[in-house]
Amino acid sequence: MEDVLLKTEKLCKTFRQGRLETPVLFDIDMKIKRGEFVAIMGSSGCGKSTLMHILGLMLKSSSGRVIIDGLDTSALDDNRRARLRRDKIGFVFQRFNLLPTLNAYQNIAVAERIRGHCIDGQIWRALEAVQMTDKKQYKPGQLSIGQQQRIAIARAISHQPEIIMADEPTGNLDSSNSERILNLFSQIHRQQGITIVMITHSLTAAQWADRIIQIKDGRIVDH
Amino acid sequence: MLILALSNLTHRKVRTCLSILAVAISITLLLVLVGLSHGTLNEISQRMQSVEAEIIVRDRHFDLGSMSGGKLWEKEIEQILQLKIGTNPTVERVIPVFLGRMKLGGLSQNVFGVHPEDFSYFAGNRRILEGYLFTDIESPAQALARLESPNNPQTINYLPLLIDKRLSNAARLNVGDTTTFGDTMAQITGIVETGVAGRVFAPINMLRAANGISAKTAHLFFVKAGNNLNTDQLQQLCDEIETKTRRSANLVANYGQVLEQNFQNLTIFVGLVSVIALVICFLFILVTMHTIVLERSKEIAIIQSLGAARSMIMIQTIQEALIICILGCIIGIVMSFGAKWLIETYQPLMTVEMRLHWLLLAVLIGVVGGVLSALVPGYMALRRDPVEVLSFE
Repeated sequence: MEDVLLKTEKLCKTFRQGRLETPVLFDIDMKIKRGEFVAIMGSSGCGKSTLMHILGLMLKSSSGRVIIDGLDTSALDDNRRARLRRDKIGFVFQRFNLLPTLNAYQNIAVAERIRGHCIDGQIWRALEAVQMTDKKQYKPGQLSIGQQQRIAIARAISHQPEIIMADEPTGNLDSSNSERILNLFSQIHRQQGITIVMITHSLTAAQWADRIIQIKDGRIVDH
Repeated sequence: MLILALSNLTHRKVRTCLSILAVAISITLLLVLVGLSHGTLNEISQRMQSVEAEIIVRDRHFDLGSMSGGKLWEKEIEQILQLKIGTNPTVERVIPVFLGRMKLGGLSQNVFGVHPEDFSYFAGNRRILEGYLFTDIESPAQALARLESPNNPQTINYLPLLIDKRLSNAARLNVGDTTTFGDTMAQITGIVETGVAGRVFAPINMLRAANGISAKTAHLFFVKAGNNLNTDQLQQLCDEIETKTRRSANLVANYGQVLEQNFQNLTIFVGLVSVIALVICFLFILVTMHTIVLERSKEIAIIQSLGAARSMIMIQTIQEALIICILGCIIGIVMSFGAKWLIETYQPLMTVEMRLHWLLLAVLIGVVGGVLSALVPGYMALRRDPVEVLSFE
């Protein structure tokens, strides 16, 4: 039997602003197995980021279901969705989204505190995994963009999540930094067995994944 | 999550300092206004209660605030002396006080005109530190005649004044210094220990004359009752005085309350100013918190993406406001003591009172106001869509 970690059924999303309706996603059906590294690929504006936000429980779908680890999230209230996101998901964003007032260590520690615990060993292991232990006192503004993304990855993996949702993680990086980050994802995936869902428009980045899901105009066209 | 609140506050040092200062100034304003009004009234009340008498009688139209209004006549003293509660001798002595006003020490002062032989009731065990107690002329009419006749060999050259030590220090007045009371020359003839009912005393008949009055009028009677009267009997005596003389009689012990009633408008004014100061302060905090929330929308969205519950974000906003308010309150209290010192040093006749429960109340107001001011911005922070913020900001 397949060990499906993340599943969507007839997922649709329409943005409404007053009377204006903008449909973005149509009948998305997909399954992601535990431990899989999946790239969701598509051109700009095709709805891939919206899909990631729905999968990451940051956004509610207009219809359809998102099932994470067997739990239908459609009926959950905001607090339970936040709890599920906190416990099972780690986010990596294109613009890193580190807290500028805190240093590298504190950025990870805050995420841990939100999760209700702050274990120094876990933070240290996460920093080691991204080879940033020597930069733990540095604030984001004092780090290069590649280093910032590594800290963001450390923050995402520090609590050993089930899934990492990465939204264009190499979108702001040059080719050598991109390769380093993708290599890091691949390493984390292999060594820790964490499921990775990576949104990208770059075929080079997508090729690091086990599987590519192609989206076009809000619909899955290939997976 | 206190670390986030602290790091946000230290990240924007100038804004944080300004917010803390706004709270501190409001708390200072509140404490100094309340302390000054209560302190001044209490100081006056305590001085009046130092008189060795139990009842104070005044005309119903006499205003304790401005110390002016209807007068009493010395002949009414006889009426009061004859009053009895039961069979016991009730009234030991009635001490008339004629009030005048003059400027001394940069402030308008009430001059207590008293008979020299009555002064011991005002002084109690307080000593005359320098100079001597004045003497008086037999009647105001005689005093007036001698004041108005410069060719009279018995002309009064000056109105003798006895001032208290606090006024002496504040106005740097010493025995022998001269001043004027209206058109009349006045001279400091003695300095008495601080704590007596008036800051300035003068002989009653000469003070009347200096005011152009030849009749034996007074503004206040202090009634010294027999030692064996209890509070109920004293109250009964007040009622008797009011019935027989149609004057207003109050226990000296209640003088503070009577004074506060007379200064009700001042109390309301002080209260209003304090409330306005606090409202402005909390509006400032609200605007500051609102700005902080707007500026930190992205950070809040990041925290939400990490799985922070709504309550956590609200708590963090409140924590920031609380830190500002608590620090503001502490600095405000320190500033209030500084302001008290400044006022009492440069205006030595003013008293700023600081009571522990006012300080606690100020902290409570600061904390509650801070929390309330953070609620609206906190709620706004929760309403923003994190996806929108992360995508577009």
